[in-house]
Amino acid sequence: MFYINSINDKRKGTFVLKIKGIFKYMLTATISLLFIFPIYFMIVTSISSKHDIEIGSLIPTNFDSSNWIELSKGYWISGIRNSLIISLSSVVLTLLVGFPAAYIFSRLKFTADKHLFFWLLTNRMAPPICFILAYIVMFRSLGLWDTIPGVVLAYSVFNIPIGIWLLVSFFSSVPREIDEQAFIDGFSMFEYWKKIFIPVVKGGIAVCSFFVWMFSWTEMLIASTLTSAKAKPLTVQLLITLGRVGYGVQFGLAAAAGVMTIVPGLALIYWARLYLAKGFTFGRL
Amino acid sequence: MWKSLEKYGALVVPAILVIIFVVLLPFIAVINYSFQTPYSGDQFVGFLHYRSLFKDERLQDVFTRNLLFTTIALLTEIPLGLGLAYCFYKPSKTSTITSMIIAIPALLPGVTIGLIWRLMIRSTGPIPVFLRNYLNYIFEPFINPSQAFWILIAVDIWHWTSLSFIIFASALAGLDPTPTLSARTEGATRWQIFRFIEVPSLKFPLIFITLIRFMDSFKIYDEPTVITGGGPGLATEFLSMYIKRLGLDQWQLGYASAISMIYLFVVLIACFILIQLMTKGRGLSS
Repeated sequence: MFYINSINDKRKGTFVLKIKGIFKYMLTATISLLFIFPIYFMIVTSISSKHDIEIGSLIPTNFDSSNWIELSKGYWISGIRNSLIISLSSVVLTLLVGFPAAYIFSRLKFTADKHLFFWLLTNRMAPPICFILAYIVMFRSLGLWDTIPGVVLAYSVFNIPIGIWLLVSFFSSVPREIDEQAFIDGFSMFEYWKKIFIPVVKGGIAVCSFFVWMFSWTEMLIASTLTSAKAKPLTVQLLITLGRVGYGVQFGLAAAAGVMTIVPGLALIYWARLYLAKGFTFGRL
Repeated sequence: MWKSLEKYGALVVPAILVIIFVVLLPFIAVINYSFQTPYSGDQFVGFLHYRSLFKDERLQDVFTRNLLFTTIALLTEIPLGLGLAYCFYKPSKTSTITSMIIAIPALLPGVTIGLIWRLMIRSTGPIPVFLRNYLNYIFEPFINPSQAFWILIAVDIWHWTSLSFIIFASALAGLDPTPTLSARTEGATRWQIFRFIEVPSLKFPLIFITLIRFMDSFKIYDEPTVITGGGPGLATEFLSMYIKRLGLDQWQLGYASAISMIYLFVVLIACFILIQLMTKGRGLSS
């Protein structure tokens, strides 16, 4: 591998090192290109003219903003708005319901810790399609079908367990002595949360919110089956655009919508990179 | 402490209520459907649906395909992610930038990944053009079933190698350097260090990435739907897509429920066995 052994390096002389260095840079460049190029190609497609898209040119010959103008019209704006509302409400719901639960779980010893974790995993590994069959019927009869609250509620099947476990992993690192001290000083529990606990764990809350947001923003299967006209998020609109076969897919428009869907992830990646491993493993790493 | 925290135990109730509503009730409903013919006669049919599972050849094809897909994806993504993690886990400017770039796909929606790769592989896209012009290889995933399957695996690798990279890189960065240093002083080779020091301490991340990738790639839906739509023919139809078509498009709710029960059961059993085997029965609580 490219683990540079500092003792051996001195013996080997600079020539080998130089070759190694060049090789390493070439590898880095190739790998970065492999990951960047497909995304670059989508961005380019979104600003290319119809002719350029048809011949698949890698560099746009002339800038064409028609796709982006189309994207700023009513239909797409409502999708973006729905996506934003769904993701934000998912974060709020998860925090409202998950924060108190996570606090209790992190403070009370309970015997079923191991089992609870496996149960959480079962929620995450259960294929969503298994629940959707029931959601369709349930939500139709409750009037939740094709509404934003319905989608938010359906997403909580993943969001709440993941949110609780992420929060617990952050809360557990706050020593219980602080709780006890606050109690002796006469704080009520909610005062203690407001004045001390939440400021201490706000990093954890941010990470939890980010992951709940990302899940809700990127989800498509549940949303595509639970919405039809009013509550369609951006991902579902994108799917519909790509599914139109009759008169050819409008790849330029789809690419512009695709660029919109990747904005939150890209915008936060510099901050999020530090927490990605923790988030994807429910704070277990 | 506040007079017995137990008094505040009620704070857990909202979370439990939501979970009952979105997990437990649907689960019971699906079990119930699987013994009936809901919305087409509403009759109790016992194990009829479960018996007809064994005669369904399309289901067997789909299931085999899912297994094959998951196996290949896992066997590629995990070593690849580990290798990349070795290249870029040490803090330096280039590694930070490169690891950010590698991490991007893990944060993209599945639909968008599908779109990106459909752009790449459509007949005038860069990949078929490149293969035709430079390697003289005809690449037509929308006509050729096996090419369609392989491109879906490639897309999955592109999408999720990021995740195994992220997890391994953070695990490697958190390793205690002392054992490695002392082993090196005593003349251990790079391979020995890897085999006897790093692999044992990477065991937990390895278990985790295997689990997560197993469950996610088994329920794959977004990318095949967007890229191939299950075609050509039924060559890239996966289990989630099949259940969706049966249950929601053809409205055979009873039979679809029976399949999804088996599906759920297989995934849960497989994950349980994986956890038990890899942690030697200790569970994941460390």
